[in-house]
Amino acid sequence: MRAPLYLQPRLEPPLDSLLAAAPFLHSLADALGSPLNVLVPDRIVENVAAFRGVYREHHLTGRVYFAHKANQASSLARRLTATAPAAAGIDVASLSELRHALECGFTSDRIMATGPKDPEFLWLAARTGASVNIDSRAELDQLAGLIRQYDLPRTDVLLRLSEFEASASAASGTRVLFRRSRFGSPVREVDALLDAVERHGDAVRLTGVAYHLDTTGVAEKAVALESCVTVMDECRARGMDPRVIDIGGGFGVGYVADAGQWERYTTELAEAVLGTSPAMTWRGHGYGWRNEGGTLRGAPALYPAHRPTAGPGYLDELLAHPAPTSGRPLATLLLEHLYGLACEPGRALVDQCGLSLARVLDVRRTGQDSGDLLVRLGMNAGDVSLEEHGVLVDPVLVPRPGARSDADDDGPVGVYLAGNLCLEADLITRRKVFLPRLPRAGDLLAFANTAGYAMDFHAHHAQRQPVARTVAVTRDGDSWRWCLDEEYWPITGVGGPFS
Amino acid sequence: MRYDSITEAIGNTPLVRIDPAVHGLSHIDLYAKLEMLNPFGSVKDRAAWNMARPALASAAERGETVVELSSGNTAKALALLAGMHGLKFKSVTNRMRVPEIKELLLLLGAEIEELPGQSECLDPTDTDDPLTRFHQALAGPENAYLHTDQYFNPRNTEAHATGTGPEIVKDLDGRAPDWFIACVGTAGSSTGVARVLREQDPGVRVVGLVAHKSDFIPGIRTIDEVHQVGLFDPATYDTIESVTAGEAIDGMLTLIRRCGLLAGPTGGAAYEGAVRHLRTVDAELAEAGAAERRTAVFIVCDRAESYLSYVRQRRPELLGRPPRKNSAAALSDAEVRQLATVIGTADARRWIEDGRPRPLVVDLRGPHAYAVLHIDGSVNIADELFEELLRGGLPFSKRQPVLLACPIGEKSARYAALLTRMGHPDVRSLSGGIVAWRDAGAPLVRD
Repeated sequence: MRAPLYLQPRLEPPLDSLLAAAPFLHSLADALGSPLNVLVPDRIVENVAAFRGVYREHHLTGRVYFAHKANQASSLARRLTATAPAAAGIDVASLSELRHALECGFTSDRIMATGPKDPEFLWLAARTGASVNIDSRAELDQLAGLIRQYDLPRTDVLLRLSEFEASASAASGTRVLFRRSRFGSPVREVDALLDAVERHGDAVRLTGVAYHLDTTGVAEKAVALESCVTVMDECRARGMDPRVIDIGGGFGVGYVADAGQWERYTTELAEAVLGTSPAMTWRGHGYGWRNEGGTLRGAPALYPAHRPTAGPGYLDELLAHPAPTSGRPLATLLLEHLYGLACEPGRALVDQCGLSLARVLDVRRTGQDSGDLLVRLGMNAGDVSLEEHGVLVDPVLVPRPGARSDADDDGPVGVYLAGNLCLEADLITRRKVFLPRLPRAGDLLAFANTAGYAMDFHAHHAQRQPVARTVAVTRDGDSWRWCLDEEYWPITGVGGPFS
Repeated sequence: MRYDSITEAIGNTPLVRIDPAVHGLSHIDLYAKLEMLNPFGSVKDRAAWNMARPALASAAERGETVVELSSGNTAKALALLAGMHGLKFKSVTNRMRVPEIKELLLLLGAEIEELPGQSECLDPTDTDDPLTRFHQALAGPENAYLHTDQYFNPRNTEAHATGTGPEIVKDLDGRAPDWFIACVGTAGSSTGVARVLREQDPGVRVVGLVAHKSDFIPGIRTIDEVHQVGLFDPATYDTIESVTAGEAIDGMLTLIRRCGLLAGPTGGAAYEGAVRHLRTVDAELAEAGAAERRTAVFIVCDRAESYLSYVRQRRPELLGRPPRKNSAAALSDAEVRQLATVIGTADARRWIEDGRPRPLVVDLRGPHAYAVLHIDGSVNIADELFEELLRGGLPFSKRQPVLLACPIGEKSARYAALLTRMGHPDVRSLSGGIVAWRDAGAPLVRD
């Protein structure tokens, strides 16, 4: 066999020590079944602190909002409510998320409503006093209508803007193409939008502008941010007093620890697709690449799993980046214009906050001549949607404590991970995964760092298979405590409130 | 030499021997093929001219735009050729990573389209990657494009099979070198030259150099990226090795400072990769006591001038200057605390109203921020300009009191300390800056 193509996960405290606590993880899975999601709520506080550290470094004020859609758990949201109100808020993108945020203890001044909104969502946001991140002119009209009709309090709004191409092109002298987004109002229509804000002055108060760009490119974000500063200045000229620019998320997470592993893996994947080295994926899946007459075509649909800068590091890089027109660093620009900064990291704020456990049900060879090993798990692709998000990273093998070690199983092995649905397509990941040894029935595979989007984003009740339960765990000296996610409160220890 | 057109000056570049004292190889003569001396500045002049030449007349008739996926030398050559024939040139690129090249292309009249960055949240429904869209646009019914298609066009390779390769053989007195070392970009030059050299002598060994995967070297592809090149055939190369950006700059420095060759980083990578590869075989030759000398040729594909920001980013010390006089950055935090007089919003307001003489208020923020809101009567000198001014000495009379303001009072304290050290008797810094001033409810105006 060729050298194993590991993609080992990046593990930081406390996830690393939790993964070393095999008896504890097995007792959890024995009690609550497979699959099982395990969250470490305390870590999210450290992540907020890291982002705030970047703010402090650049002398910026403003909140970091947790994009709730990244994980629906109560424990993460509730843990955040127990942090400084000026530091952290929550970004909700549905009526249900808004209700959940309120129920978890977020006061409305810490809640921002974003995304596509139905009337009920708008009404409750305005009723409770949350800020509304306005997606379109029609949505603004609708909100103002609701506020007047139901005599609701004047509501804080931010305007989400999009399509910054023109300003980008003007700034760089070249035509800059942007990725299309379904969200936000084109920046060229901002005058009409501001007219509407003024017309609805009795119902809404403009507190800022926002953008969300789905790109890893700092240059595009710099263009958007500088454009937002210009729009904010325009608002001031109209006599408004906006205070904050919301730059959305997309700061990234590094999933794979070792750059060399990632580089080697992707190189070999390209060669496998070209047929010059053995297949590495189920039925030669190319992850977006294809072989056309010996030339690689297409683009890999993969999350850049190893990243030298991600999360707070990426925010720091963005804030230090020069604004395309003025040349002043973006943080300086915000500071000089007296604007605060809001951001909404989803994935990056729950980095290292949880893992997903799956029981190994059986291990067998596929019937075909390939002799591929298939490991069937008590979990399906919806429970840990790594594949859906293009995230390639190995699970961590957590052996069943006390099980007899079998010399035959020693040594690295490449396996395919199959799910618990009666569907040919239900593979946890379509690539061959290398493990330090062959797993056995009863072992656990832990998918590390799944709290952001991967844990429960696509989980559903298909085939009446159980959807993962979620538990929150906290450190208790040398051991771990756990409770069901819905039973977690930041003030509660096992057996009642902390004295 | 007298020509009717600059295109006649393409090709016939010199082959220059590298002094053995520089490369240290005892049994191998190393030659540099100076493609940087082509009229538009690079090896790409040959390919661009060969690809465009047959189509230019009809393109001019139909008013087509020449288009190519290039962020560098091919774009440069095509832009000039297009201009000579009254055509427009458009370059589509994955973000210009070298600012000088971008500005140069704009100067040449090129239109540049920059493709978007990578998506952060994977969208499985996104079927049109930017390149697919580009090809769709070219194939559209109303297309008025001449696409030179350098990564797939056989005329790219041909330019070197008929030009570069035979020139090398001729200059080596009809012999092929024992080794040919080339960086792989479009694979055009390495493939074309290798073909000719092998026809001359099947024993020639061809070394392809690619960029280290995590590095960026202008004009060279990484091992993954070469697979996307239609002209790339792994069988062309006896070995493919990778070079780092650091090695490219090292090599470039050697060529510039010791050989008098004004090479860019790609040429540097070729030199460094060549010497690294040849060192092993040279040692073997020495051990075997070989009597005859061997030869090796590498390509210097372009010049250094366009890559100063590339160097500045990676090796700022190479462009180092002596420390500046009167620099705010040179003050320690302790010196700032000791030398700067700071003054709160309330005291500052009183001073501005009642001071005799009244202080000059200098707002150190950028001009746009100043234009939006500022302290009434203040003047705006952005910090960068202020820093420049101070290098020459005090910009105010010592009898003129000065209040410095910045966003939060940090930069202004630093400049207040510096002005004090330069001998100004009464300069103060607004504590907490314009932010504190605003938060205290003090008036800000826009004119």
